[in-house]
Amino acid sequence: MTATMQPKSEAAKAPLRGRRTPGAGEKPRPRSTGLQLGHWWWALPGIVLVIAIHYVATGIGGFFAFTNWTGIGSFKVVGWQNFEAIFKDPTKLGALTNTMFLAFGSVLLGNVGGLIIALGLNRMLKTRYILRTLFFMPVVLSPLATAYVWKYIFDFDGPINVFLTSIGAGDLAKPWLADPQWAIWTVLVVLVWGSTGFAMVIFMAGLASVPVEVEEAAAIDGANLWQRFRNVTLPAIRPAIAIATTLGIVQGLRVFDPIMALTNGGPAGATETLATQVYKQAFALGNFGGGAALALVLAAIILFFAVIQQRLTRSNPED
Amino acid sequence: MFRYTKLTLLREIGLWALALIFLAPFYFLVTTALKPDSEMYTTSPLALPKSPDFSNFVAVLTATGNSNVVLGLVNSIIITTGSIVGLIALGSITGYVISRSTRRWSKGAYYLFLIAIILPGQLGAVPLYMGARAMGLTGSAWGLIILYTGMLLPLSIFLYSNFFRGLGTDYEEAATIDGASRSQIFAKVVLPMMAPATGTVTIFAGLIVWNDFFTSLIFLGGSANQTLPVAMYYYIGSLVSEWNSIFAIVIVSMIPMLALFLFAQKRFIQGFSGGLKG
Amino acid sequence: MKSERLDMTQHRSYSALKVGALAVPTIAALVLTGCSAPASGSSPTGGAQEFTLSFATSNTIESPFQVLAEKYMASNPGVKITFNPQPNDSYDQTLRTQLQAGNASDVVVTSPGSGTGRSILPLVQAGFLEPLDAAAKELVPEGSEALFGTDGKVYGQAPEITVVGLVANETSAKAAGISDFPSDFASLEDQCKSLASSGKSFIALAGSAAPNTGLMAMSLAASRVYAEDPKWNEKRAAKETTFAGSDGWKASLEAVSKLNNAGCFQKGAAGAGFDAITKGLASGTSVAGFIPGPSWKQLKTAAADSEFNVRALPAEASSEGFVYASANYAFSINAASKNKDAAKAFLDWAAEPEQTKAFAEIDGALPVTGLDSYDFNGGAYKNVGDLIKNGKYGPLPNSQWPNSAVYDALATGVQGLITGQKTTDQVLQAMDTAWGQ
Repeated sequence: MTATMQPKSEAAKAPLRGRRTPGAGEKPRPRSTGLQLGHWWWALPGIVLVIAIHYVATGIGGFFAFTNWTGIGSFKVVGWQNFEAIFKDPTKLGALTNTMFLAFGSVLLGNVGGLIIALGLNRMLKTRYILRTLFFMPVVLSPLATAYVWKYIFDFDGPINVFLTSIGAGDLAKPWLADPQWAIWTVLVVLVWGSTGFAMVIFMAGLASVPVEVEEAAAIDGANLWQRFRNVTLPAIRPAIAIATTLGIVQGLRVFDPIMALTNGGPAGATETLATQVYKQAFALGNFGGGAALALVLAAIILFFAVIQQRLTRSNPED
Repeated sequence: MFRYTKLTLLREIGLWALALIFLAPFYFLVTTALKPDSEMYTTSPLALPKSPDFSNFVAVLTATGNSNVVLGLVNSIIITTGSIVGLIALGSITGYVISRSTRRWSKGAYYLFLIAIILPGQLGAVPLYMGARAMGLTGSAWGLIILYTGMLLPLSIFLYSNFFRGLGTDYEEAATIDGASRSQIFAKVVLPMMAPATGTVTIFAGLIVWNDFFTSLIFLGGSANQTLPVAMYYYIGSLVSEWNSIFAIVIVSMIPMLALFLFAQKRFIQGFSGGLKG
Repeated sequence: MKSERLDMTQHRSYSALKVGALAVPTIAALVLTGCSAPASGSSPTGGAQEFTLSFATSNTIESPFQVLAEKYMASNPGVKITFNPQPNDSYDQTLRTQLQAGNASDVVVTSPGSGTGRSILPLVQAGFLEPLDAAAKELVPEGSEALFGTDGKVYGQAPEITVVGLVANETSAKAAGISDFPSDFASLEDQCKSLASSGKSFIALAGSAAPNTGLMAMSLAASRVYAEDPKWNEKRAAKETTFAGSDGWKASLEAVSKLNNAGCFQKGAAGAGFDAITKGLASGTSVAGFIPGPSWKQLKTAAADSEFNVRALPAEASSEGFVYASANYAFSINAASKNKDAAKAFLDWAAEPEQTKAFAEIDGALPVTGLDSYDFNGGAYKNVGDLIKNGKYGPLPNSQWPNSAVYDALATGVQGLITGQKTTDQVLQAMDTAWGQ
């Protein structure tokens, strides 16, 4: 996420369009040291609220990871026992695999799809605003509503099976959401469907900052479509890729609502993820301590990938 | 030199084809919602309604009690608007200060907010509820607005501070030379320039708050102030498999957000590009 | 919240003048607190004539709890009951969170035993429930004392007896050529096969809904485990046996596969939700479902022309029939309630024979008192009357299990049996693991 943190300054006059040519060299913040903007204490209400709602609340919750609290009543401090139980439990490994598959699968497909659509919509299209709104529509649906729609589509008596039967492929009809092999793919389809429009918007924003003159110059120089993409567009949208993939991975790793509403982790755990396990352990199955421990493990995993992701997208070989 | 060529037309047609496939779920959503009960089991799920009517929408909008969709709609609008206002107010000023300060603490504060985005929200749910209860914030729209503001503040601050970092300080410097105070600079110079970031925060946070189900279910628990997703959940819970009614309520619930996107999309995309320039 | 303490440590290092900035959010919060306090559900505003009631709701049928409470209000004009219905899926979590925070309703609907998130015993242990008086004690079904409290105290008042087995659409069964309801398991399998060949199914199963797969497995275990060993759960608790080491439980789960192989379930059963049962039974494409007895009455409203009866699942031999009949819900009083007197007055009223009878009728269940003299003839329960009169019934097993994870392991495991992901041994071992959690 901090890929977008590199200090920036001269964009001020044309904040939305102008962009320096890459390689002009990044300077540290060129503000004169005497300039004072804002008072530090303006930030206090925000800091206090975030500390209270995020750090204090999560800290108290995190403390229970080291207890055997059921969610109600009294508890004992049990040390690392809940963590040991997680690493000994083979079903948690399955949940971890599913989490990775869904997070990286949805980030990859959603971003590639979003990028292709954004590139397609980028220049000259007469109906680009209508199309942009259409592709964004799935993002507007709540996870609950998305799940209802897809539940209907994947239903045994739903459109997919009716369609398959009508073209004589009735053998392929199956209860998609309860099929041990297919269930996880159906979840992936729904996640990608819901996230592509979002990635598209971020990429369109990135593409808007590519000066048309540079592209034209490259075209005049005889660069083909791929070369233009590779050498002009891609370096320019690197920050967009960074923000889209980082947000995608953080969201993907803790994806929860759509799975609960679509499959509830089923059939028999085939679509269970770490986040659904956290919820079930902590709230449904009266094992708050175990759920809290798992939530900490999940947070560590998310932090790990967010940092790696930062390192990967931050290095800017072209610059 | 980029002109509208045959290739562009082809691209346009291709994208429309893709859009149609992509929007197939909305086809089912709309056609099914327009089917009266009598057609639900007699027509194919793929077919268009024979005699479309709005009876499902009427039924949805006139439901009472726990599944009072209209009341949920009003509450959701109040809570979402309140949270967005809170997020813009606190997010912009906090993001501004930490992106403009050259002191070390501002970098620390930035990471404080960044890490808060990653913290597992489920862990804090029970302590938060107990805290909110102790402060009397449960069961009221106000409480939920404060809660959502706090929950999404890191994201808002992150978006604003990235935007301000990309904005440069030329105008502010000029205003300083003219003798404006720090508050005047923020109110007269910075505030009018931050519309794109505000667009991003509005849609981003608006979507999350509008669609959130669990927080409002738990924190409003049983009070009369329940939000649309909760009303929707109650309503659907009573329908078993009446997909036509379910889809009518889904459509009702998405229209306000779609309208917000249409209204704010230009700013929304600008806001991202403001924070994206590498 | 704890933030005050943090603030203190923070602004110790800053100049006193700037503390003012901190006061803004704090004061704002206080102002808001003042505004919102009366709005929160359980705050006592009136005298003893007012209280709140929480219950789980999941369908269009008006909750029997609400009907009963409205009746109480009608006959006691001075009383005002505020209802807090919660979606069934999230009722347990909401109840626990609110009890923990001290703002649950004055009267809450709980469940006897310890096997679910709303079960009485863990809530009692946490000190959340108020002991009830003699009227509630009277209503505890014989042999279930241990499920309603500890140390001789009773914390739940049973409103009805729920029979759990099959609910069958007798009209569609006859139409499908089933003249006699199968009396043993082998003839059930035969019926399944013949119905499947005509495109129907004997059983409508909600394979993706854990409560339904779990109920099926427990129904199969009725005759295979609990008929011959009613004290099996106690032995499991004393570690004298395990699920994996029990032949009865093995046979019960193997019977799931037998039903599946015989084509007893409707097509796509593994992914079906509860709507498949309502739809299948009301439209007559399926004959029976594993749902709690009172559902017959709801089905009847959906398909008025059909006759719905409650039946026991056919056992291996017709002489081994066994059914579950127990109090599956209870009224409890929140220990933190400030309207205990009003709540107790309501419970005392609800314990009167007239009300228990009325409640059973509203819900389509059996009355909690007078079961011995109950006239089974002619009603939806006529086919289980003999079993109950002969004492061939017991409480729903999972009420005696130590936590909800055991039932969850069973329920998700059964789905795995149907999809072929799990073996019976794996499921039973998972249940044993969950028991020790």
